[in-house]
This record gives sequence, structure tokens and C-alpha cells, in this order.
Amino acid sequence: MVDASVAKRLVQAIIDNLPEPVPGRRPVHTIGIGVKGKFVASDVARTYCIAEHFNGQSVDVSVRFSNGLGGLEQHDGWSDVRGMAARFHLRDGTGSDLIATTLGEFFVRNVDDFFKFSEVAKREPYERRRWWQKLGDLLQLKVPPRNPYPNETQSVDAGALRYANRHRFSQLGIFQVGLIGAPESYARASYHAVHTFWVTGPGAVRRPVRFSWQPVAGVRNTKLTDVPRDKYLFEELKDRLRRWPARFMLMMTIGEEGDALDDPTKPWPGTRIRIAMGTLTLTEVPEDQDAAGERISFNPCRLAPGIEASNDPILEARLGAYEVSREVRGGCPFRWRPDDAK
Amino acid sequence: MPSNEGLLDRIVDWLPTTLGFKRVASWTLVPYWARRTPVKPLPGGPHPSFQRGDNVQCMMNLIMPLKIKSPIGRAEAALAIAQNKDTIYAGLNNVGTVHFARFVIVGDNICMFSVYDGDFTNYIRDFIATIGEVFNEVVKLVEGGEKVTPCEKNVEAFIQWVHERDLYQVPDTATDFLRDQEALNGDRAVSPVDDDLTLLPRKLVLQLRANANVSLGNGYRAYPGFSVAQVRKQLGLGW
Repeated sequence: MVDASVAKRLVQAIIDNLPEPVPGRRPVHTIGIGVKGKFVASDVARTYCIAEHFNGQSVDVSVRFSNGLGGLEQHDGWSDVRGMAARFHLRDGTGSDLIATTLGEFFVRNVDDFFKFSEVAKREPYERRRWWQKLGDLLQLKVPPRNPYPNETQSVDAGALRYANRHRFSQLGIFQVGLIGAPESYARASYHAVHTFWVTGPGAVRRPVRFSWQPVAGVRNTKLTDVPRDKYLFEELKDRLRRWPARFMLMMTIGEEGDALDDPTKPWPGTRIRIAMGTLTLTEVPEDQDAAGERISFNPCRLAPGIEASNDPILEARLGAYEVSREVRGGCPFRWRPDDAK
Repeated sequence: MPSNEGLLDRIVDWLPTTLGFKRVASWTLVPYWARRTPVKPLPGGPHPSFQRGDNVQCMMNLIMPLKIKSPIGRAEAALAIAQNKDTIYAGLNNVGTVHFARFVIVGDNICMFSVYDGDFTNYIRDFIATIGEVFNEVVKLVEGGEKVTPCEKNVEAFIQWVHERDLYQVPDTATDFLRDQEALNGDRAVSPVDDDLTLLPRKLVLQLRANANVSLGNGYRAYPGFSVAQVRKQLGLGW
């Protein structure tokens, strides 16, 4: 277990890199929207996991979609990681959370890596690269860095690239962040939980797995050539859900011996067995966004019996860091287990 | 997008999207950088792996340039396949580890694309045993094929010949392609290293110069992780 002081330092490292403090709000994924829905497990889900929400009964779900950037400025059209935090509400009043982002792999392996990354990938002034520098890039068969977005004056891109150049384990995650783009809709992106979890099936069979949400509407990003719009994702989602529900398939990939079980920087091959665990149907954006989007507090280690966290050090660190962040911003406490008085 | 851009900024942003720039770069910059920073061809076929899931539904993308590069050469190849259809299907049934297989003519190449279970060398060895005669008929129409036919008498040379014509399978993730290059060059460095990720586009261009034909990604599988035997058993199709 990562001790409380480390969890506080993790949160502080994130806060220190914000353009300005955001008291009472999340330090990253600050801008978000809460949505209601229901999850129905597939016929086969229960044969892989005994967790209540995989038994086939319809389960209420709270989802919060978010932009990855920290801070109060909303830039929906910027290339950025998006988040999809989901809580499956269980019968006894507890919940099971699944926190996913559009990033397929993380960029650090453990807490030490994260602190070193935070030191290198600080916000720096970000300016348009001059035309002759870009011409030099083209002559070297390099792709010049993107132009700054309107009103973008600072970025962590250069620092993150410096870190990636020194650490091969981080290259995939950081490269993916660079190309991630902006979705046309929160309902048109795939979200990956990056960490490995252990699920227990009937007969106490345990399997290492990774989860992903896949949009039934398909993945679609905005065009890179379009001028990015700052605010469209919330209204798009409200409009979409007024017309028709949005659906996501929950896919579960089963790892094999030899796969990276405790390292979120390493992908698993596409040749692993993949199970369709169920369908999430999003129906409504609640009026009370303070409760549905802001006070609600997720934690990737809040898991129903039948699902366990792996020994992934980043996942372990998130357990404490999310609670510290919740306390700092006054987020809503939530019972972890039926016998948990919290 | 930003308001401070001048005419030259706009021109340089637009330049790489133009056909003219791409053509000029292909004729000048690519050969120049290929000389300055040579890149070796990456080997074809699936990456060696001990893990079970990596050893089922493997892909073979065999591209074999025809000797006679004309409709006559292509017709000869088509005829060689058509005349041996029964032999090929019976052989594939006997091999027993093949999910899908097809012959395709692309340009002046006869291609065999297949998805199989198990080890590549055993897969080809099984083919030699079951439809070696058909391979001989096809391979004799292919550049360099006479050196390895009859395949029944040149088993190891034939396996190597096929492997050299099996396409390099670009990994699903861009940075894993860099790991393939590093492995080929014997670079086993660990952190901290001194890479330059901005060179990835050039490295990709030069690799695609060295490996002109490649398989993009590991391919989609509707039911990954299952062998032919498991699928047939589960579906009650017999064995």
C-alpha cells in the first residue's frame, strides 16, 4: 500500500503543474459531465466473473466523461486524453468503479517514474515553430510540432517528449497522447482502463484481465485541420441523449502468463482472448451536475467482490491519490463495502 | 489557426500535404536519408513468442513476384491454382491448423495469405508434405523459384525462401516498430537512453523503403486465442 504522504505528494505534484489552482475541483480531468445509464451483462459475463454487475441483471450506472487537462478552462477541441469514469451501483448501496481513458497505455510504470516525469514535464511556454524551422524539419523527414491552439501559451508537450526520449517504456503512452486528437462526441471514443485486474469466476477461477469500453456509435475524432471549438462536447452529449441512448460495449481481454500484469506502460497483444462483458446504455444527463459530475468521487480500486486490483504500482498509488484528491476538494465519500461505515 | 501566422507559415504548413512535395521528397530526401542512415529490412512473419495466444491464428502474407510480368504470366499462375484446387483443399484439411487461406494475384505477384496455428516452419513443412506438388507448380513461375524446387528435396531452403517472401508485420503500436529496428540492430539499451522520437516518421519512411510490402498491424481477430481445433470442436464440425 502506498502511504498517505506519497499519495499527498502525488496529488501535490499534479496541482503544482496547473496553470492556476482549482480549489474545490479535481486537479486533472477538471472539466466533466455526469451521465446516467444502465448496464446489462452479456450471457457469458457471469461465466468469467462473479461480480454482481456481471450476473445479467440490469444495474444502474453513473458515468462521468471528462477532458484530461487540469484547470477550469474548457478546450474540448484540443487534442487531449478523455476520461470515462463509471460506477456500477450495486444492490446493497455500494458500488464498483471502472475508470478508463482514451489512452491505451500509461506513460510511467510506478510512483518514482511519475515524480521524475512531473519534474521534467512541466508547463513551458509554447510558441508556433518558425517557418524555417518547420522547413528544416521537413527536410529531415520529421513532422513539425503542431501549431499552438488559439490562446494556448503553455504546454507540457516539450517536457513529455524529453522524458520519452530518455525512457523507452514511456514512449508508447507519450506518442499516443501526441496523436490522440479530440472526439466528435464523448460517446464516440474508446476508453481503456489500462491497468490489469484479477477477476474471479465460478469455481474460484482467477484470471488477469484488462477492460475497455467501445462505443457502439463508432470512434470518430474531429478533423485536425478544423479550427478547434472550446465548448461542444457537453451540448453534443445532451442533444444525442435527448434523441437516442448512447451505448458502449464493455470488452474484457484475458491476459496470459508472460503478459505485463503489473506494468500499465506495456500493451497486451491483440491475440489475447477478448470477451464481450455487456452493454452500457446511457440515457440522461442529470440536471444536478454538482452531484452527478462534481461531488461524485470515483476510485479505480473500489471494486465489487469478484474483481481485485493487480499489483500494478500505479493502480495501487491511485487508490490513495484519488482519496486525497476527494478530501481536498470535498468530494462525496462513498461506501466501499457493505460493512464499511464510511 | 493562430492569428500570428504569416504567408510563409501557411505555405510551410500546406507544403507537406501537396503531391509535388511528396514526389520531390521521395526522389531526393528519401534516397539521401537512406544513404545517411541506412535501414536494414525487417524479417517477415510473426514475432517469435512462447506465449500460447501468439501462436494461434498467426498470419502469413506471402508475396511472390512472377517471372513473366504480363497477363500471360498472371494467367499461368491463375491456372496453376485452378488446376490444383482439389489438391489444395484436401491438403489444407490435412494440415489441420489453417483457419483461412487464399491465393491472390496483385500486380505481377502471386500471393498466398493465410491464418494458421503453430510454428511457421512446421506449417510450411506440413504444406510440403501435403501439397508440395502444387507448390512446385506455382513456385516454378516465380522469380528465383527454380532454386528451391522440387520443395520436397529442398525442405530447409524452401522454408527459408518462403520466410524471406513473407511480409514484415508492422506491430500494432508505432513505438513497437522502433523496438523491432533496435532488436535487429542489436540495441538492447534500457533507461536512460538518448532517443529522438521526432525521428519516428523518417524511420518509418526508410523502413518502408527497405520493406516495400508490409502487413499493417497484427490484424483483427473476431475470436482471438482459439485454434482451428478448438473452434471446430466447439462448433461441432468434427475433426
